[in-house]
Amino acid sequence: MATLTATAEKTSPPGIRANPTARKLAALALVAAVLVPLAAARWSSGTWPGALTVDVSGPLGRTSDWIIDNRDSHPLFLHFLGHVSNAVVISVRAVYLALLAVGWAGVTGVCALVAWRVAGVRLALGTAGAFLACGLLGMWVPTMQTLALMVVAVAVSVLVGMVLGLAAGLSGRMDRILRPVLDTMQVLPAFAYLLPVVLVFGIGVPAAVLATVVYAAPPMARLTALGLRGADKEVLEAVESLGTTARQRLLTARLPLARRELLLGLNQTIMMALSMAVIASVIGAGGLGDRVYQALASVDVGAALAAGVPIVLLAVVLDRVTGAAGARLGQEPAPHARALWAAALAAAAAVAVAGRLTDRLEWPDGWVVGIAEPVNRAVGWMTDHLYSGVPVVGGTADWAGRFTTWVLDPLRDGLQWLPWWSVLLVVAGLAWVIGTWRTALTATSAMAAIGVLGVWKPSLDTLSQVLAAVAVTLLVGFATGVAAARSDRVERLLRPVLDVFQTMPQFVYLIPVVALFGVGRAPAVAAAVVYALPAVVRITTQGLRQVDPAALEAARSLGATSGQQLRQVQLPLARPALLLAVNQGVVLVLAVVIIGGLVGGGALGYDVVFGLAQGDLATGLVAGAAIVCLGLMLDRVTQPTERRARKGA
Amino acid sequence: MTTTATPATGTPVFAVDGLWKVFGPKADRVPGDPALAALDPAELRSRTGCTAAVRDVGFDVRKGEVFVVMGLSGSGKSTLVRCLTRLIEPTAGTIAIDGEDVRAMDGARLRALRRHRAAMVFQHFGLLPHRTVLDNVAYGLEIQGMGRAERREKAAEVVAKVGLEGMEQRRPAQLSGGQRQRVGLARALAVDPEVLLFDEPFSALDPLIRRDMQEEVVRLHREEGRTMVFITHDLQEALKLGDRIALMRDGRVVQLGTPEEIVGSPADDYVRAFVRDVPREQVLTVRTAMRPAATSEEAATGPGVRPDATVSEAIEAVSRAGTSVRVLDDGRCVGVVDAAALLNVVAGEVATGVGSHADAAAGSRAAGAARMGAAAPAERREPDPAPATTSEEPV
Repeated sequence: MATLTATAEKTSPPGIRANPTARKLAALALVAAVLVPLAAARWSSGTWPGALTVDVSGPLGRTSDWIIDNRDSHPLFLHFLGHVSNAVVISVRAVYLALLAVGWAGVTGVCALVAWRVAGVRLALGTAGAFLACGLLGMWVPTMQTLALMVVAVAVSVLVGMVLGLAAGLSGRMDRILRPVLDTMQVLPAFAYLLPVVLVFGIGVPAAVLATVVYAAPPMARLTALGLRGADKEVLEAVESLGTTARQRLLTARLPLARRELLLGLNQTIMMALSMAVIASVIGAGGLGDRVYQALASVDVGAALAAGVPIVLLAVVLDRVTGAAGARLGQEPAPHARALWAAALAAAAAVAVAGRLTDRLEWPDGWVVGIAEPVNRAVGWMTDHLYSGVPVVGGTADWAGRFTTWVLDPLRDGLQWLPWWSVLLVVAGLAWVIGTWRTALTATSAMAAIGVLGVWKPSLDTLSQVLAAVAVTLLVGFATGVAAARSDRVERLLRPVLDVFQTMPQFVYLIPVVALFGVGRAPAVAAAVVYALPAVVRITTQGLRQVDPAALEAARSLGATSGQQLRQVQLPLARPALLLAVNQGVVLVLAVVIIGGLVGGGALGYDVVFGLAQGDLATGLVAGAAIVCLGLMLDRVTQPTERRARKGA
Repeated sequence: MTTTATPATGTPVFAVDGLWKVFGPKADRVPGDPALAALDPAELRSRTGCTAAVRDVGFDVRKGEVFVVMGLSGSGKSTLVRCLTRLIEPTAGTIAIDGEDVRAMDGARLRALRRHRAAMVFQHFGLLPHRTVLDNVAYGLEIQGMGRAERREKAAEVVAKVGLEGMEQRRPAQLSGGQRQRVGLARALAVDPEVLLFDEPFSALDPLIRRDMQEEVVRLHREEGRTMVFITHDLQEALKLGDRIALMRDGRVVQLGTPEEIVGSPADDYVRAFVRDVPREQVLTVRTAMRPAATSEEAATGPGVRPDATVSEAIEAVSRAGTSVRVLDDGRCVGVVDAAALLNVVAGEVATGVGSHADAAAGSRAAGAARMGAAAPAERREPDPAPATTSEEPV
């Protein structure tokens, strides 16, 4: 009996794998054969038929007007949202003033000493260096503004995330409710969160902080729940067998057992908060992001770089220090840990007091190194010499132009020329073949919703940029990933680069591409490729390296060449990882293509920025909704059957 | 024939009767429905989607004894021990600890039971990785609300008792498997429970360490006389530690008896196959091999052995004496063993004389144990249930 079923299972997979795809496609063809002639006969336009759109800008505009009119009088605002808004403003202001009161020496000292105790001497020096560099670049005050906003946003995010995570970790029902919501929130581009918050709070610090919280809390919630659910069952049973109450179990066992995940959650929340705090400059966050935003608006690459470097330094320092705290968890606490902490804090206080007494709270103007000028000169030289007319290879602007003419334009026109129902059909087919009928249904509905919202054309424009960027990303990413998987030296060389690139906020990537390619759609695509590449390379390398060594050895023992090993063993066995890489690539590319609206990427991203700039929230909100739908659609189409936890970028 | 078992005195520590644990949808209906209860596991799963991990089990654990539950993986023994303190909620049946109904306890009383009366040692230790050895051992006392200094002092004593002095400040990750299980044992001992429950505590350890730990348990039992319920899949371990052994298969107890009864008179072919490779001379006592003295002269002279001496000890005595040996109970000769009878035991032949009686009696006893569940409902209402096991029957 048992052997019979075993052999049956063994022989069936090739048949099963070939069959469902064919079956799914056949079923889809059947449905299409019935529906398409019907649809084509009634609404026979290439683009989404006007009869099927619902104009939501009217109601949205009225809602927006109503909120603006009632913001100072309606009880909802007076008694709830107003307090939220005030609390946020006051706490950000308080943290900011505290940071200024401690002075630059004090802040640098405290952060370096905390880094020393948490992560060791090297990272302490790195932290001190990073803060001093912020000062040297003349960005001390904006850095403190961003830091203040982040401190408040991270504190709220961690609180909210922990509460949600506890609920999901302790109650199965909450987990089933929250998980899909959190999963979806993590794949949506940051830009999609801006407008709803602005609608309620208006442009300003409260909106920026709340958008950051909405964006940064999900990873904390997910990882808290994961940690609580992943705890060693036998430890929990042992603890229960000793007669603990539920509260004691939570405090003495479940939470401590989840420390690693909690710290990872903190790390990701901080990174996402930084990323969002910078992007939220579009809605009035101020600080470093605002400097970059203003500089990009006037294509002042030097000024953008001077503000961008502190962002990168802050990101790297925060990531490494919190990461090191997680890595040190398993180790024995050093002897005299408490005494050393006390010494560190005393030293930091001394530094701060010394700074105060010598009246050196503000960063001295004489110590500022202006890099904007030289950078702009260099960019100017590049514009003159590298933009176009370089013999044989052509200039960067030529490349961008050619890429736009030969790849982006045909792709966009092709997509827009396709009959709308065929786009839906392709989405449904892809999603069903890769995933399940559920993902296919979600993807198709999301795509249809875009049409209904009346932003079919700009969405397809965005989609064409995403597709082009994903194609380039996957081509380069898989090639690099395979190279890194096959050669240890390549991997060793790549690792630090990937580490730095994966920690940088999305916004920063716009600076170099504007310097190289000017503005337009091609630089947006380039920024998206650079942003998504590290994740794709890393997942590909890991997937290939984790292929069962026994299978590889077996292939080698049969005399397979290394090419045969790669094609016939490694790539097929790493298929889930490769699919995950595609999924991640698509999600990350979309996030940056949307932000590309700031540097001339046009389409949905531009609609959002335009809506914000002109106070035309209806346009912006519709574009935001379309971004959500596009994100959902792209994620579901590429969603492998089993989603894994990913590092939020 | 209560060879090694402590005589039953008063209320048993645990009295289990008609216990069922069924996993699956609408599990409640299975124990109550005779038609479903009679199904074998595969049929039950296909008919109802349920798995019966424990099926109609009853036994008493007497004060001071080591009660071993043995069975292969999937036989329901781990589920059974978890039902005792309701770490897994039983589906049907009764459990009493010192006569008090465990299934009727509310949350607070159940916690009190787990805190003070029954402590458990786990297969994979279940230690808290973020605490030191000392704080792990003190954990049970901490959740009882004992102050830091007092509980650390108590924990330090227990740590010393299990031989971990000097390791108080280490973390579990820095210990070997055997040391970790000593911590697990110390944690259970620290709360000074009335009964210790062991769930395959040494299965994850290397053979040599396992023997050390078994000897540690024997030593602790000798020193403190604490009641123990010991789950294992290792027959050698069961025979070595157990005063009585309940052998489980597919959720049922197929035989319950002393090690000698299990080895000497297996209840069915399953048990026989199980004990086939056991060195019988080290488990069976001379009672199995002895015959009545043929002559009064034989009963009066020659070297003697105790009735509970093992056959292998008797072989040694016989080969030294070169003749048959008397079996002396308090100086009175109860029988005689000779080389041929002892060899028969080693060879696994059915012994003649007294031994064959013992066989028959033990066989019926095992059958009685297996039938016991069916008779249980009638006994369930009795205020002081008669010991459900049958090994007190006079031979």
